[in-house]
Amino acid sequence: MRSIRALVLVVLFVAAVGAAWWYTHRQQTLGDTITVYYVKADGATLVPWRVTLGPARDRASVAFYAATQCVAGPPTGTEAVRFPAGTRVRAVNVVDSTADVDLTKDVASSAEGGFAESAEFKALVWTLTQPSLNITAVTVRVEGARVATLPGGHLELDEPFSRSSF
Amino acid sequence: MNRFRVRVSSALTALALLAGTSSVSAQDQAPNLWFQGTRLIFVHSAPMQGDLAVSTRDDGLRRFLDRLGATVSFQPQQRYVVVTAQDRRTIVFTIGDPVYTIAGVRAQAPFAPTADGNDVVLPFYALARALYVEPVQNGGETVLQPRIGALEVRSDSSRTYVTVRGAMPLIAAMNADSADRVQISFTGMGSSLAAERRAPGAAVDEIDVAVGGSARVPTTTVTIAGIHGTTHRVIAADIPDAFTVVFETHGPLAQSAPPSPPPPGAAAPANGDYPPSGPSPQAMPTVAPPVVAGRATVTDLAIEPAPEDIAENRQFRNLHEIWLEGDHYKWRAMRADGVAVRVSLSGATSYEWHRLADNRWYIDFDNTTLNGPGRDERPAFGSVSSVRIRQQGTSDAPTVRVAFTMNGEQRIDLAPSDAGIVITVANAPSDDAVRIGTGHTGGAPLVASAASPDPGASAQPWKYGAGTNPKLIVIDPGHGGADVGTVHNGLTEKLLTFDIAQRLRTLLVAAGWTVRMTRDTDIDPVSGDNLNRMHADGKPNADDRAYLQTRCDVANNAGARLFISIHINSAPIESAHGTTFYWYKPQDAAFAQALEKSVIPAAGTFDDGTRHENFYVVRHTTMPAVLIETAFVTNPGDVTLLRQPSFLQNVAQGIANGVKAYAGAPSANALSRQ
Repeated sequence: MRSIRALVLVVLFVAAVGAAWWYTHRQQTLGDTITVYYVKADGATLVPWRVTLGPARDRASVAFYAATQCVAGPPTGTEAVRFPAGTRVRAVNVVDSTADVDLTKDVASSAEGGFAESAEFKALVWTLTQPSLNITAVTVRVEGARVATLPGGHLELDEPFSRSSF
Repeated sequence: MNRFRVRVSSALTALALLAGTSSVSAQDQAPNLWFQGTRLIFVHSAPMQGDLAVSTRDDGLRRFLDRLGATVSFQPQQRYVVVTAQDRRTIVFTIGDPVYTIAGVRAQAPFAPTADGNDVVLPFYALARALYVEPVQNGGETVLQPRIGALEVRSDSSRTYVTVRGAMPLIAAMNADSADRVQISFTGMGSSLAAERRAPGAAVDEIDVAVGGSARVPTTTVTIAGIHGTTHRVIAADIPDAFTVVFETHGPLAQSAPPSPPPPGAAAPANGDYPPSGPSPQAMPTVAPPVVAGRATVTDLAIEPAPEDIAENRQFRNLHEIWLEGDHYKWRAMRADGVAVRVSLSGATSYEWHRLADNRWYIDFDNTTLNGPGRDERPAFGSVSSVRIRQQGTSDAPTVRVAFTMNGEQRIDLAPSDAGIVITVANAPSDDAVRIGTGHTGGAPLVASAASPDPGASAQPWKYGAGTNPKLIVIDPGHGGADVGTVHNGLTEKLLTFDIAQRLRTLLVAAGWTVRMTRDTDIDPVSGDNLNRMHADGKPNADDRAYLQTRCDVANNAGARLFISIHINSAPIESAHGTTFYWYKPQDAAFAQALEKSVIPAAGTFDDGTRHENFYVVRHTTMPAVLIETAFVTNPGDVTLLRQPSFLQNVAQGIANGVKAYAGAPSANALSRQ
């Protein structure tokens, strides 16, 4: 009888440990849509919009997808601060809670002033740091290289961004 | 099972395509494709499941996408392939799955895309249709016909915006154009739109779409009928692939424009009195209101030299009395320089001053009470005939006003300090075109409300005197040399920033400051060679840091009192306009706010506010620093201003006023350091 009780206790203990492990290691469920942000014409107001996900749900793919949607910007007719035309996401590499975003040189093709720079990267950082992706910091590359700023630029790009950066 | 076969088939085909094997004989099997009058040849392609499998490494596909302004993003080991159209719609394929999305709407391709390394095989016809290009059979050939793919109707209370979107830049011709009806033809464009639709807009009744021409040269005609009494006009669309007409029910279209700037000078009221900021002067309380926490209080107003000292030409009995009380000689000596009115304040407050057109000038202290009754003083010297102080406003928003009546339009200097402010009326005419100004006084800086200081930054409060050269101000004209900055509408940022900087330097030197520029001509401060290389290959490089740090070092190494970086803004959207003041360090906030309150009324631009931002030159300077984005070269209203030298002068004057409001006069600074 005592051995049965001990067995039950062990089972309960293992179950509790397992539940705790699952709770602390669980990833937020990715649904059929994901939030992408853009910044309104005032250069400061963040606006979330939902975009439909394709069949892939792994975090790296979804992060890449979200970044490309953010760089593409909201639907036409929506007044928003947008990345320079032709800007593409070359890659998004996610390690732990940091996403490293590599953009094409088009992002630096036109000097756009501090207004656009800060709005563009604010939208990108907010998009990638949404809770379901478990990303808290974003680093930026241009054509694979780490840069201090964009040419003649304003925003410091060689340090990790977080939501509190903006 | 069927799905499995499709996938296997796709994979095999992809492998064949990517290997470039001749056994697939792609060219033989590929249809005879024509696009924009030329044959489109795919080397790495094969018909599949009623579509055409094409590799993204195929030059033909690249040319096709380039003509449409579309780009492909794909990262190996990940499943999504994102094609971004010219109009910013995204077409998203998934490796191994035939489901794809067009602007978020799901669709099904005949086969699933496959990938091998950087190469992806996509269903070409599905992609083309998503980009508004329809394969049309024309005898033995397949014509890839660009089409009008979307017609958007958007309305507000009195206007309806009709936007036509096509696969490529639209060539439009007006066939018929009356007040409430317009017919537009788009040559070279087919259409996937319904032939007729009722428009539920406020000003449009019906829209008809007709397609004519041939498969190779189609023409789409769109007829828009407004409701009776409407007017219409064509407005610029966001991209060349779009065409927008606006109908409105009455009157011409209102033009969006920046808010009107404040008048450059407050006209004198007809009754000759000062414009009230609250109850009329007759209604002012003559007893001090109770002190409220957080409010400032005017504890004293002293005219220096004291009128009685001057009027009586005071006599002293001995040298000892002169030594003790002979300070009035100093003030007498100052007569030549004018009259100084010292307003003593307990607590911090902001103020706003106005110069009226009839030799009057007044300053209002916000949220401030007067500790005692109002007073009238009539100095018997200098160019000031009267000085008055009054309690104004309401009990909730009290204001104290100090008003001057002068014999002419004299120059007035303000020197705010922890203890209040000294207003000096000089015996010299004003050469200052600015009629309105703002600032703050008192020990505690007014922290910008738009953002809080970075918690990670130093929590040490900045104290005046940290710099070793308290009379030095460094001006940083943004960009220079090969780094031209932003260029729009015939305006070049590096030239405008240098122009404003030169004007500002003149004003600050005249005010007694020592000024150093990070560049004295059209060069970049580091190396033109580096920048030339940087711009030649289009890539940023590691020199960006040295380039910007050099600007900071000019101020840091010299121990400057202030750092002012001047820039001109631009934005991808035309509507963005106004002036923005960027700061980073906690000690920058009050300086940014002082500049904001001075520059906006002087320049007449829209106030975009002060913003906390991680900008290099404000972050890596050790003294209070602000980066001013003066106006937008992409906004028509701002462009008009930027083309006027008087505007550039007003901006410089506004900055100079802000420096004065924040830091006072340089001589006062030097004294306070001792």
